[in-house]
Amino acid sequence: MSADEYVIEIEGLLNKVGGTVLHKDLDFRMRREEVVSLVGGSGSGKTQLLRVILGLKRPAAGRVRVFGVSWDDPNPKKVRDARRRMGMLFQNGALYSALSVFDNIAFPLRERGGLDEDEIRAIVHAKLAQVELEPRHGALLPANLSGGMVKRVSLARALALSPELLILDEPTAGLDPDRSERFVHLIKRLRREQRFAVLMVTHDLDTLHELTDRVAVLAEQHIIAFDTLAAVRELDHRFVRSFFGGDRGKRALQDA
Amino acid sequence: MADAAALQVEPVADDAVSVRVLASGRWTFSGLKEHQQELHRHLEGLERRPPGSVAWDLTGVAEMDDAGAVWLAHAVRRAARVEVLPRHRDILKQVSEGMLVPVEPKRFDPLWAVEASGRGAINFAVHLRDATALFGQLVLDLAALARRPAEFPLRELSAGIYRAGVTALPVTMLVGFLVGVVLTYLSALQLKRYGADLLVINIVGVGVVRELGPMLASIIAAGRSGSAITAQLGVMRVTEEVEALSVMGISVTTRLVLPRVLALAIALPLVAFCTDIAALAGAMLVSRFTLGISPGAFIEALPRAVEVVHFWIGIGKSVFFGFAVAFVACHYGLRVLPNTDSLAAGVTRSVVSAITVVIILDAVFAILLRNVG
Repeated sequence: MSADEYVIEIEGLLNKVGGTVLHKDLDFRMRREEVVSLVGGSGSGKTQLLRVILGLKRPAAGRVRVFGVSWDDPNPKKVRDARRRMGMLFQNGALYSALSVFDNIAFPLRERGGLDEDEIRAIVHAKLAQVELEPRHGALLPANLSGGMVKRVSLARALALSPELLILDEPTAGLDPDRSERFVHLIKRLRREQRFAVLMVTHDLDTLHELTDRVAVLAEQHIIAFDTLAAVRELDHRFVRSFFGGDRGKRALQDA
Repeated sequence: MADAAALQVEPVADDAVSVRVLASGRWTFSGLKEHQQELHRHLEGLERRPPGSVAWDLTGVAEMDDAGAVWLAHAVRRAARVEVLPRHRDILKQVSEGMLVPVEPKRFDPLWAVEASGRGAINFAVHLRDATALFGQLVLDLAALARRPAEFPLRELSAGIYRAGVTALPVTMLVGFLVGVVLTYLSALQLKRYGADLLVINIVGVGVVRELGPMLASIIAAGRSGSAITAQLGVMRVTEEVEALSVMGISVTTRLVLPRVLALAIALPLVAFCTDIAALAGAMLVSRFTLGISPGAFIEALPRAVEVVHFWIGIGKSVFFGFAVAFVACHYGLRVLPNTDSLAAGVTRSVVSAITVVIILDAVFAILLRNVG
């Protein structure tokens, strides 16, 4: 099936924010089960591109399809089904502050329906275990969690519906190196078990190196390169040079 | 794509195990949906067999997600043997363990009413203590500012007066006007019967200037400015802006509470004054049409009917009302916890408490000033 070949397809995207053109003639295609990192300087519109992919922002022109479905599709069921096949990990977690950890993870399961409360309980506890949390953490409120726990709970919620595509916005931002490392390994392990595709925005070169199959470089309003990390590094472009060629970049990629 | 989830039961000639169940297809949420009823029936039938008499073969399962794993884990928990593909083992194990987590039993506490009232009393005491501390801090801040007037947050104060005063005028004056109209109309109907037409100016005049004007202004201020103050301070708590101020060594009470409280204490008498005028204008209009009192006569009779002390009592009370509304709003705003429920509850309590406090204050003033005017 051609529609299922790509999880994300963007063609000729024109995206404006407050009258300024942020993306122009942007093409992007992401295959099933691959891990893609989106990199770009600050202000290059990475988050805005994610918003377009997530359907939170309507592009001015161009075609954006996720699982072969456009967010403008007149059939609401198709759009809903496509939405349920993806999970999103927001940068700050975006947990519902009034709900406990358990209810946050159970929320998408309850909204989807079709499962009774015992089944939901079993799944939520399985998800908690998957992100290395214990059942007792389920009763906590988001305000009482540490930064690392917020990330893990949001990841558990993003994975609640067993998505085929997981979108991560700065997954390791705000975590200490040890926690970042553990979080990256967690995602790696879960991906091995559940085989979802991952699209992430990250500035963290270690994360990039650990997880990524292909790197998409966003600059000059479109994707200037989309290839393996090794190939992208060789590119002669101002942003690529400063991003990978700096001291931090060299250190992180020494053994790449 | 593989077929939907299916079960196949076949008898086996084994002394321990009587049947073998083969699961196949997509044991995922969508795969289960297609033959949900049938699968349910199948599984219920298997459930009735004695434990250990069924062997499960899950190697034919093409896909398994959490929903499928929950169904299978439940079904195989008493099985004699389970064969499963290595890649499905983890998810099945995780979900089985998830099912074993004990449910916290909900216990009925026969003393819950005692406990709840005790907690309520403690809660009230805590509010009272914190409000007293906040009031004390405000007094100290004022004293400190009196010594260093240059640090007075004038800009915030003037912005607060504009927000709580000028922008509140249209709605408050409209309400005042309408209340004036209604009150005069009702009084006029009664007074006409006794021929005491002119008394309407006394009744409405004193009522509006001494009681209703300040009261209406305060209630609207509680709904408008009070809720806004609580919401703003509450969001600042949620986004840790209040903490950021403290860390910079800036006094939260001086910078956030004091200007708001003073602004409303200054603005509310002015708003009450305008409300008085609007209400009296409404009264004048209705007197003209129902009692035939001309506006000229109304204005001429007003100073004789309403002593000036009533006016000053009304305005004086408004100062306290304004202070109370803003103070209650700040108190609740600073108590908001970093979650959305707490914010909503804080704003609700702020408005309700502010109105209650204003009415209590009004009663206190009524008793204290009963011999005046």
